[in-house]
Parts: sequence; C-alpha cells; structure tokens
Amino acid sequence: MIESSMLAWIIGSVFFSSLFIMLISLYNRYDKTIPRVLYTFLGIGGPFISLLLSAYLLYTQVSTGQNITFTAFTWLNIEGFMVKASFLLDPLSAAMLSFVAFVGFIIHLYAHAYMKEELAYARFFAWFNLFMASMFLLILSDNPIMLFIGWEGVGLCSYLLISFYFNDEENVKAGNKAFILNRIGDFGFLSGLALLFINIGHLGLDFGSLEANIHLIPTATLSLIAFLLFVGAMGKSAQLPLYIWLPDAMAGPTPVSALIHAATMVTAGVYMVARFNFLYAMTEDVSLFIAYIGAFSALFAALIALRQDDIKKILAYSTMSQLGYMFMAVGLGAYSAGIFHVFTHAFFKALLFMGAGAIILALHHEQNIKNMGGLKKKMPLTFAVMLIATLAISGIPPFSGFFSKDAILNHLFASEQYLIFSMALITAGLTSYYMFRLLFIVFITPSKEEKPLLPQSSLISITLVVLSVGALFAGFLNLPVFFGGDENFSLWLNLPDIRHHLSHQTELILLLSNMLIAGIGILMAYVHYAKSATDPSLGFLNNWLRNKFYIDEFYNFVFVQPLAKLSHLIVFIDEKVIDAALHKLAFGYQKLSYYSDLVQNGNVRYYALYMTVGIVGIFTYIWGVTQ
Amino acid sequence: MLSNIIFLILAGFALSSSAFMIYAKQPINAALAFIVTLLSIAGLFALLGGGFLFLVQIIIYAGAVITLILFIIMFLNIKEENLPVEPYKGRWIIAMSLLVAPFSAILISTVHKMEFKALHLQEFGSIKDIGIEIFTQWVLPFEMISILLLIALIGVVILAKKEKENA
Amino acid sequence: MLNIEHFFILGILLFSIGIVGMVSRRNIFIMYMSIELMLNAVNLILVALSHHYADLNGQVMAMMIIAIAAAEASIFLALFVMLFKNARSLDANFFDLLKQEKHND
Repeated sequence: MIESSMLAWIIGSVFFSSLFIMLISLYNRYDKTIPRVLYTFLGIGGPFISLLLSAYLLYTQVSTGQNITFTAFTWLNIEGFMVKASFLLDPLSAAMLSFVAFVGFIIHLYAHAYMKEELAYARFFAWFNLFMASMFLLILSDNPIMLFIGWEGVGLCSYLLISFYFNDEENVKAGNKAFILNRIGDFGFLSGLALLFINIGHLGLDFGSLEANIHLIPTATLSLIAFLLFVGAMGKSAQLPLYIWLPDAMAGPTPVSALIHAATMVTAGVYMVARFNFLYAMTEDVSLFIAYIGAFSALFAALIALRQDDIKKILAYSTMSQLGYMFMAVGLGAYSAGIFHVFTHAFFKALLFMGAGAIILALHHEQNIKNMGGLKKKMPLTFAVMLIATLAISGIPPFSGFFSKDAILNHLFASEQYLIFSMALITAGLTSYYMFRLLFIVFITPSKEEKPLLPQSSLISITLVVLSVGALFAGFLNLPVFFGGDENFSLWLNLPDIRHHLSHQTELILLLSNMLIAGIGILMAYVHYAKSATDPSLGFLNNWLRNKFYIDEFYNFVFVQPLAKLSHLIVFIDEKVIDAALHKLAFGYQKLSYYSDLVQNGNVRYYALYMTVGIVGIFTYIWGVTQ
Repeated sequence: MLSNIIFLILAGFALSSSAFMIYAKQPINAALAFIVTLLSIAGLFALLGGGFLFLVQIIIYAGAVITLILFIIMFLNIKEENLPVEPYKGRWIIAMSLLVAPFSAILISTVHKMEFKALHLQEFGSIKDIGIEIFTQWVLPFEMISILLLIALIGVVILAKKEKENA
Repeated sequence: MLNIEHFFILGILLFSIGIVGMVSRRNIFIMYMSIELMLNAVNLILVALSHHYADLNGQVMAMMIIAIAAAEASIFLALFVMLFKNARSLDANFFDLLKQEKHND
C-alpha cells in the first residue's frame, strides 16, 4: 500500500478548475472583459493535470504492483457509521482511470474546437470539468457512499449538459427525462446501499470490509441488495427498462454525447457491478438476470438502430447495445472481459461521436443521414477515422473491438447460456449491418444535392487521429492465449473471473462464426446501401422500428398520464378542499366578529344590562356550587 | 309591637314609592316619589338607632340632593317632545325583574341562613359617639371627602364655564 | 317578631329595584335616581349591620357614602345640563358615539 495525496488531486484539479470557472464567470456575466483564453486555460488545464497525475500513478501501480490509497478526511463519524473521504487505486480503478483521464482530455480539446463560437463557453467548461471530477470521484472512491456521491454528480452534470441549450424547451425536457430516470435508478441503488448498511455497516463501509463481511448477510437479503444495486446500474447505463433517456440525451452538444453518453458515465454501471463482484459472485440468480437484461437490451437497441435516421441517435442505440454486451459479460462472471470491452468501447465510441460531430459541424448542423452523402471525397480524414471505428465496433480483426467482443462471446458460449449467446451473436450481425449502413449512407452513397462544407479545424483532426490509434491498437493489451498472447490486461486486473475452458477447436469455430456473422452484416449493408440511401422495406416492422417500438408512448400511457392525473387530483383537493376549508374558517371568524360587534352599541344602558347579566350569572353559579 | 307596625309602614312606603319611581314617565313625578323613599329610609335609620344618621339623611339627601335634582329638572324646561319615547317600558321592567329575581332570591336565602339576635331598639349612635368616631378613626377619609367635595365644586364650575364659552 | 333579617330583605329588594330601574329606563333622570336608590339600599344594610354587631363603624361608613353621593350628584347634574343643551334629548340611547362602526367588507 502506497499513500499518495496525488490521488485526491486528480479529483481536486478538475474540481477546482470547474469551481474557478464558475466563480469567474459569475463575476462577469456576459461582459466579455475576461478574455476567453483564461477559461480555456482553466478548462483544459484541469484535465491535463489530472491526466499527468493519473499517468504517473498508473505507472506506479503497474510497476510496483501495489495499490495506492489516500484518506483525505473523515467525513461522517456518527455512532456506528463512519465514512471517510478515502480513495483507492487498485487495478480495476486504474483501468477505468486510464481511459477516462485520457479520453476525457482528448475530448476536452475537441470540445474547445467545437464550442469555440459559443457564448456560454465558460458554462460549458465549468460543467464539463465538474463532470470529470465526479467521474474521478466515482472511480477512485474506496466506499460505496463516496461512489454514490460521484454517481449523483455525473447524473447532475449529465442533466446540466444535456439541457445546455436551455432556450429550446425540447432540450430541457430531454435533460429532465435523463435526470428523472437516473433518479429512479438511484432510488434502487440507495435502497440497496441502505440494506447493506443495516446488515454489515457497523463493521466498516469501505469495499475491503464489505468484501470480508459479505458472507454474514442471509442469501435472500443478499439477492435483494444485488438486485437493487443493479437497478441503479440500469438507470445509469441505459439498459431495459430505464433506457429511454439515452436517445433523447443526444440533444446536448456532441462533445457531451461523446464523453458522457459513450465513454464514461454510461459505463459507471458496469464498473459498479465489477466493483461489487464479491456480491454478484454469491448471488447467481441476480447475475443471470443481469446477463439477460444485457442480452435483451443489446438486441432491442440493435433492432431500433436499423431504421433510425439521426446520426447521433444511431450511435446512442449502438452504445446501449454495446453496454448490453458488457452486462452480459459481467453477469456471467467474466468481469475482466466486461471491463476490457468498456476500455475498447470508450475509444471507438468516442471516436464515432467525434467524427459525427465533425460531420455535423461541417454540414451546418445537419444531423439527418438521409440528407448527407458522398462525403468520402470531401472529408477523407474523417472517413478514414470513422471507417476504423466502424470496423472496430463490428468486431473485425485486428481492430480492438474484435478482441473484446470475441472474449465475451466465447465466455457466453462456454457458460452454456445458449439463448444469451444466440442473442449476442445476432446482435453482432445487426451491429455491423447498421453501423455500415451509417457509413455507407453518409460517405459512399451519392447525395441528392451538393452542399458546401465548412472547413474543419485542425484541432478536431488531430484529436480524431489520436483516438483512432487507440481504437486500432488497444486490443493488443489483452491478447487472448489463442492468439499467442498473455492476456496481460486480465492478469493485471486480477478479478475473480469464472473461467471456462474451451477446446481449441471450439474456440476456432466460434471465432470463425463471429467473423462470418460480422461479414454477412457488412455485405448486406453494402448490397442495400452502397448505391441508394433508401431503406428496404421490412413489412410491418417498418413503423415499429422507426418509432422505437412505441416504448415512449407506452411509458407515457402507463406511468406519466396516471401520475399527471393523480397530481391534478391532489391539486384539486388542495385548492378546493383544504384551502376552501381554511377560507371558510377565516370567513366564519369574520362573521363571528361582525356579530359580536353588535354588542358594542355605545349604549351605556346595554352595558349595564350586560353587567347585570354577568352578576346574576356569577351569583347563580356560586349558589349552585354551594348547594 | 309598635316597632313592627312602624317598620311595616315604612317598608311599604319605601317599596311602593321606589316601584312608582322607576315606572314614572315624567321626571318630576319620579323625583317626588324618590323623596318619599328617602324619607322612609330615614325613618328606618331612626328605627335602628342611628339618630344622627336619620338627621343627615334628611338634611343632605332629601334636602340637598333631591332639591338639586328638582331644580335641574325645572331648569331644563323639559317639554313633552324632549322626553324619550319608551314603547316597551312595562315589558322591559318585567323582563329585567325576572332577570334580577334569582339574584335577590339567592341573596335573601343566604341571609336567611344567618343567626340573628333579637332587635334592641335603643339610642345607639348619638352625635357625640359618632363625632368621636369620625375624628379619631375616620379622620383621613373625612378629610379626603372634603377634598372630594372641593374637586366636585371646581369641576362643576369648569363645566359651567365651558358651557358658557360654547354658547 | 321583628328581626334584623327583615331589614336585610328590605335592603336587598330596594337594591334589586334600583338595578331594574337602571337597566330598563331610557330617561337619564330615572337612571340616575335608580343609582341613588341603590346607594341608599346599601346604606340601609350597613346601618342594620352596625346595629346588629353594636359597631359604630357601619354608621360612619354610611355617612361617608352620603357625602360622596352628594358630590356625585352635582357632577351628574352638570353633565345632564350640558348633554341636554347639546342634544335636546333626554334619551340614553341617543348618546352612542362609542358604537363600533359598521364594516362594509
């Protein structure tokens, strides 16, 4: 165990840069006397320092093989409940930290180029850096309470950034939707956390103590806790049924989609399950449930993506689909494979979003792929980069996505969960089909009209190239034994994976079938879309797929409308019953005082009369008492 | 025996004249009835042995106060239209007597329960005794009452003066 | 037999008559005289008590009350004269300036 306060400064650097940007920008609202370069310096300098610190600490951890910890202060110390602000860098958090810090920094550079013209540049970078701080806090925290603080923080920043262009009501609604669904998930997470605390909280709440004491909880409660914690992951990582916020979240600026809804926030759920692996290893039914949810989400999202026309929405659904893969992996005990897929996915998904952002910028904020076409000649660099990323996501060797996906599929088959495996296989085919549909329609298929393009900033090009290197070569970090590698990544992670042994024959067959399915997808996409951009009809499925299976309308009918009616009813009761009662009471008092006023008629005789009545009354009472 | 008869006569006069007083419409009639009441009460004082008080009652109350009242009534030159219209006078009186009846009934029943000796009718409060009493034990209230009379005098003069200015 | 109790009863009855007169009549002279009647009734009871307990204090108190009543009479009547000069009416109901004003809510 090494102690190093640099661990806290990874979080502190971005947090303070966000804070300073907020304070400075509050100081001058829209005055523009503060030069923008100050905000740029703070906004990019913060993540840069975090990146340097992360690189150094990562190197230390890998070379010495020891975990790095740091306790900043004791936050709460009530009887039997002690929470410290302590951080831990073990291989799992180091893995997450590596790509979050790196991809985060690259996307900050990209965002600077993307948001250069914006009036609210400072606000954007304030929230963006706050997001990085929360994500770091989530990854590096040593106990689930601090993790939850980071969890909430990323949810908050997601909301703030989705509704960044708040003047348009639709964006605000999308932000609300994201936050509310996140909240529903958080409710589950918090309930699970509370149950954990009730059962073994007095023995210490950091992950080490939890792992040591988890066997003390009875199995029924354990399953409940595992399920509730996963509800939080469902909300955060957009799996069924709490996924509907992710497509709408594309209303935010593209760097937001690239960083938050592709690479980092949505993977927090997978990270949480991997972190709690000691819990999920003991509750096999909940883990199986996780795997099934992942399988269904993956297939469901892939189907919807087949017929979407907004470039960012296609990528959103593909994110949901890939997240399903990750959950399938961790659900069936292959924690390393799942985390590895998180790692590679971060690179190629961020790359896809950044490329999409570049196209959108170049075409004056056009997002409908049916209005694009033939951009290969005009944007060759973007085309090359998107091609790399699309090949990676489709699982074509030797790109990174192939290795991670293949590992997952092999594990699924070896766990004898054939239903899940077949769903995953079909989804792989659909993935390559719709991703190449996107690629072809945007770049290859001739467009109906020629549109003038805006020149692309060189910063954007540089960031695209840097990430594409990662997308190309990240796979080699975890080369499986089959290919002669040592699986360095999984070895280093040292998570309690369930290992299955497959014969070399089976592995070869699986490998070939994966490649075959992916190849078929590409071929069919070529056949359908290389020449024209019209979708072939699928009969009755057309409308279902295009309208996302009408799930939004269904939720609206089942949940939103009854709640709205209920709140109308309560407002009615509040106004007409409770308020009316109070008004009547007040009015009654007024009437009472009006009539009591009549007693004071200024007539002395009557006052004498009242006195007499009083005296007679008192005398009668005294006489009655003394009888 | 004689004392009983005297008491009954005086009591009858007092009650009937006070009843007439509260029923009378013209203030003059009421004042005259009031004089009869006062004189009856003076007689009752004498019956109880308060010789000096009997004199004081007649001189001051019946002699000065009622005279003043009569004087003011005649001074104001009250005409028929100045008198208030009292349509329900009888009903009010009956209602109020019903209201006050329990009060007096309670008091009378309380008094009834007290132990009383027989009556000794003799000279009890001679002037000399009362004089000694006033100027030894009651000298302070005596002086205060003289100041009170002075204040009343001054007050009336001021009121009369103000009236002159208003007129 | 004549008993001191009869004097008490007489005094109580005179007092009650005074109360009734005070409250029922609207003529301010009658009201004033009812007040005086009440004072006299109290005097009677005081003297009766003083006779019963052979204590001279009762009679002295009665005398004080008579003196005060005389002072009060002068003030009362001066006020009556002023009131009559201003309002030309002897109605007690007429002087109701202390009345609560009607609200128009």
